[in-house]
Amino acid sequence: MSRFTSALTIPAEKLEKFQTAAHIGGIVAAALGIVSVLLPWSYAHEALDDVTYSAAPSPLQYNYIGLAVIAVVLFAAPLVLRKPGKARDWVAWNTGARFAGYGLLATGFVGVAAIGIESGGLINVDPGGWLALVAGVVGAVSGLVLFRSPEPSMGRIKTNTIVQIIAIAGGLAAVLFAAAFALGLSGAGAFLFYLTFAAFLALTLVRTGVFGWFAKCAADNKKILVLAAFFVAFVFPFTQNGSDANMSIATQVLIFSATALGLNIVVGLVGLLDLGYIAFLGAGAFTSAVLSGSLYSHIHWHPPFIVTVLISGCVSSFLGLIIGTPTLRVSGDYLAIVTLAFGEIFRITMNNLDGSDGPNITNGSNGINNVPELSFLGFNFGDAHQIFGIQVGRFANYFWLMLLVLAVIMVVFVNLNRSRIGRGWVAIREDELAAEAMGVNTFGLKILAFAGGAFLAGLAGAVKAHYDVSVTPDQYVFLESAFLLAAVVLGGMGTVMGVLIGATILKLLPEKLRFFSDYRLMLFGLLLVFMMRFRPEGIIADERRQLEFHAEDEELAEDVQEELIAYHDHFNPDAVTTEDLR
Amino acid sequence: MTAAPAPATDAPVTEDGVLLDARNVTMQFGGLRAVGDVSMQVHAGEIVGLIGPNGAGKTTFFNCLTGLYKPTAGSVTFAGQPLPPRPRKVVYAGMARTFQNIRLFHNMTALENVMVGRYCRTKSNAFDAVFRLPRHRREEREATERSRELLAFVGLENKADTLSRNLPYGDQRRLEIARALATDPKLLLLDEPTAGMNPQETREAEDLIFRIRDLGLAVLVIEHDMRFIFSLCDRVYCLVRGEVLVEGAGDIVQNDPRVIEAYIGAPTVVEEDGNDA
Amino acid sequence: MDLFWQQLINGLSLGALYALIAVGYTVVYGIVQLINFAHGEIFMTGAFGAFATWVVMGSPSSMSWQVAVFGMLPVMILGGIIVSVTMALLMERLAYRPLRDAPRLAPLISAIGISVFLQEFVRLFFGDIPGMPDSKRAIPFPNIEGISGRSVSFGNVNVQISALFTLGALVVCTAFLWFYVNRTKTGRAMVATSQDPDTARLMGINVDRVIMAAFAVGAALAAIAGVAQGMRVGNIDFRMGFLAGLKAFTAAVLGGIGNINGAVVGGLVLGVVESMATTFIPGQFGSPAWKDVWAFVLLILVLVFRPQGLLGAKVVDRA
Repeated sequence: MSRFTSALTIPAEKLEKFQTAAHIGGIVAAALGIVSVLLPWSYAHEALDDVTYSAAPSPLQYNYIGLAVIAVVLFAAPLVLRKPGKARDWVAWNTGARFAGYGLLATGFVGVAAIGIESGGLINVDPGGWLALVAGVVGAVSGLVLFRSPEPSMGRIKTNTIVQIIAIAGGLAAVLFAAAFALGLSGAGAFLFYLTFAAFLALTLVRTGVFGWFAKCAADNKKILVLAAFFVAFVFPFTQNGSDANMSIATQVLIFSATALGLNIVVGLVGLLDLGYIAFLGAGAFTSAVLSGSLYSHIHWHPPFIVTVLISGCVSSFLGLIIGTPTLRVSGDYLAIVTLAFGEIFRITMNNLDGSDGPNITNGSNGINNVPELSFLGFNFGDAHQIFGIQVGRFANYFWLMLLVLAVIMVVFVNLNRSRIGRGWVAIREDELAAEAMGVNTFGLKILAFAGGAFLAGLAGAVKAHYDVSVTPDQYVFLESAFLLAAVVLGGMGTVMGVLIGATILKLLPEKLRFFSDYRLMLFGLLLVFMMRFRPEGIIADERRQLEFHAEDEELAEDVQEELIAYHDHFNPDAVTTEDLR
Repeated sequence: MTAAPAPATDAPVTEDGVLLDARNVTMQFGGLRAVGDVSMQVHAGEIVGLIGPNGAGKTTFFNCLTGLYKPTAGSVTFAGQPLPPRPRKVVYAGMARTFQNIRLFHNMTALENVMVGRYCRTKSNAFDAVFRLPRHRREEREATERSRELLAFVGLENKADTLSRNLPYGDQRRLEIARALATDPKLLLLDEPTAGMNPQETREAEDLIFRIRDLGLAVLVIEHDMRFIFSLCDRVYCLVRGEVLVEGAGDIVQNDPRVIEAYIGAPTVVEEDGNDA
Repeated sequence: MDLFWQQLINGLSLGALYALIAVGYTVVYGIVQLINFAHGEIFMTGAFGAFATWVVMGSPSSMSWQVAVFGMLPVMILGGIIVSVTMALLMERLAYRPLRDAPRLAPLISAIGISVFLQEFVRLFFGDIPGMPDSKRAIPFPNIEGISGRSVSFGNVNVQISALFTLGALVVCTAFLWFYVNRTKTGRAMVATSQDPDTARLMGINVDRVIMAAFAVGAALAAIAGVAQGMRVGNIDFRMGFLAGLKAFTAAVLGGIGNINGAVVGGLVLGVVESMATTFIPGQFGSPAWKDVWAFVLLILVLVFRPQGLLGAKVVDRA
């Protein structure tokens, strides 16, 4: 949880007289930022995807201008809206302004650092870049001085359904645009800059309370939101102008998300730690590859894909039963290790089924190569197609197929979660003995989760085999299981959105940030430790989980209250007395 | 408090009205004989108390009845059928319990907690749930309705969407009772339902137990609070050192010199160190 | 019959290695009910620490066996122990202690993170220390005159000296551990804490210090195992901790986790089973490629039929 308030150790009274100055400082900072963009940030063309032009901002800099404009609005509004009223109380202007200020600093810093690294030295940073950094420092300091606003109440605004739907459409369009834009960036520095920008923009919107309003729009129109989200994902390939590189990443993200969502049932809902989950994906992939008609397969039965996919799911879930039946009776800690051991057994076995150490099924460590492209009713997934005059390639085909698989898995997850079975699962996670004593079939439900989760992974694996063209045992090692777990933990255990975000981050970052690929694993290990230490509920918290992990946040609550009191004293010296709040 | 939920009337009890019949139940942990040769009958619609000093084996006996422990010797029959020693099967048979140290599902709402109790009386499977088939939708609706009724019955209708960990202590106890009632029991076992309550809350608990009895349920209560138990119970068993010392109507047990001795101690009695398992 | 004896001694020496690591799992689990998943990495850092000590000593290579065994080897072991104990204490302090009251899943996930981090850290940065070789591939372990590569024969049974060293180390460590747990103040505090941490704290025991002691003892034994492994195999690499850790955990469970004697017995049994399986299981499934599978199958079987392990006591869940 954020400790931003406690960063402010100066007593509130002393800050009182600086409030107006801080508002003006923020506006000045944002203005400086906008001016900086009109100057070149660097002479080096290779830095930040080229920010060398004066009076002609690059696309990346236009985003920066957007953040600056938002900062102006947030810093200026409280000066204009001095009287209490809806417009002032709905939005947490001050808190938002604070984060916009931080955002200016973070983007300015990342921008300068990226120029320094990408062009070989800070000497290549031009006045524009330095000005942006100065703007950031001024903005962040101004934001830090501001009192925190009361909790925003935009979530309570009643809005016309049509407006809500327009808002959803607008929000999703923005997400689509942002995703396409991010993937289109070529340099790592530019990508990091954009990521920083997007993260702080999102944080600012969350803190001002605008997100609360979006959340309400979304909650009121859930079905429309889900359909629209899928529509956006569906049209995503058309925004890529046939770029195979990006579509390949996007498809990998979908495969990874689908698998992580299956794992989320086991870990997030039932609370069973499965460290060998990748084996189920592998079992699906191997089954599908063996039955695909690849020349390397020694089984000469090639059912249509729709049959193969079901067989793959069943093989995986059968393995889940084999491993689950004996071990789900013992305590949870053991299960983690047994599943880990099972993952190793799977990998070694796939390696050994090569004809010399066992029957030849998988070609051992060479695996099964040349898995043919999928073909549905004459539609070959390997071919490029023209749709609406736009060329979409092989990866787009697989992208759409995976989107379908992901949709199926999401429906399964959500519908099960909201049924008696989902409640039984969570009850087991909370207190297994009490669940059993209330008549919940704990063993049966655990088996169901285990085998069901395995089935879903098997489905994803079946597609993965065709997408990857070759299936080898070393694609299914323990680290991959750990990555899946990390996606679930990072995003937020037990949630759908969180896991999708977590999976996207974990797959996208290494692809876009090649320069750190060597440090990828190490940073990921650290990430797990830090997440457990500071935000164990993940980016998107399951409401149940959040409370579980943060029982002791009273300290923060006190900090917030102190600032709130200061805020009220500042704006309504007469209206609300300190005693009312205490 | 509001409308009572439908009583569980279809209890097929043996001719003499005995619902629970425990005979010579013995529970041995290694060398420790926690419960020895305890026999107990509970009739339909009866409130029976189980008292005894600390370490008398009350909770152990409870665990034998509810299938958490498998008794070393003896038999337990419920409504004429032998009771399988599995907690889940016991619930299916019609016996539900609460715990001495509250064991709610902390990160679920009050309503969800009660709905977990409905689990054993609903049948829709994963297939029904994934495709939202009629059976799932009907059961889901019925379970929600019944659970809300039960929350209202124990007086928690306004707390349905509160996480159970955020409920005050007394509410948690009542929620645990509502959760147990959701399994449609014929016999409710309460393990120290008033532990840690103030006199006002204790009176409310007493009232609640009477209203549960009025639904046609039998209740078996473990308690320490003597006033509570003697004003509540039709019959009382006093357990001392794992064995039934006295059994009978409240005032008889209350005035039995052996019971007084067990609690207060006679001048000559050697001090015993009990070990509540 | 010679084959049987040969495999028995091979199995015992392998098992002694597992046992040395397994003690670390079991001591920590006994006290804080935490599966220190990263313990395999502690074993690895111990081996690297010993190697680094050798380099710091100037990479001595030719000397008499007396000097090697009684001079160089103890210094290397000491260096390994210092590194591994430091790592274990840092890990406990920074990652586990803040999570002591967290839900059970949290420390386990954290442990996986530490494990990955330590492996990668050694892989990426060990070579950057002046004088150290590139650690991205296996590093040859220094030759200890009189132990490395030497063997003695009893009839037709051939015994590596390094195997004898491992077995000897296990005997010495077990004796030391017995003395430590039963005859020292810290040891008795450990026993008390493992039975009831809250009461132990009330009795004036510094539970934090006891937990640190448990981590340190486990790490020290793991470092000795790391040196033994280096001498047996002849090289060390950053991945050596994963499989060894997993096997050692299997050994700890086999013997009954939380029970020190159990870890020793479990380790020896596991080693013997593994080496016998490659010899006496007929057909393709008896090939060495399957030996890890048999070890893990044994783990699963134990958990099914005797989850408390060979020497563990049954735990009753209280209502």
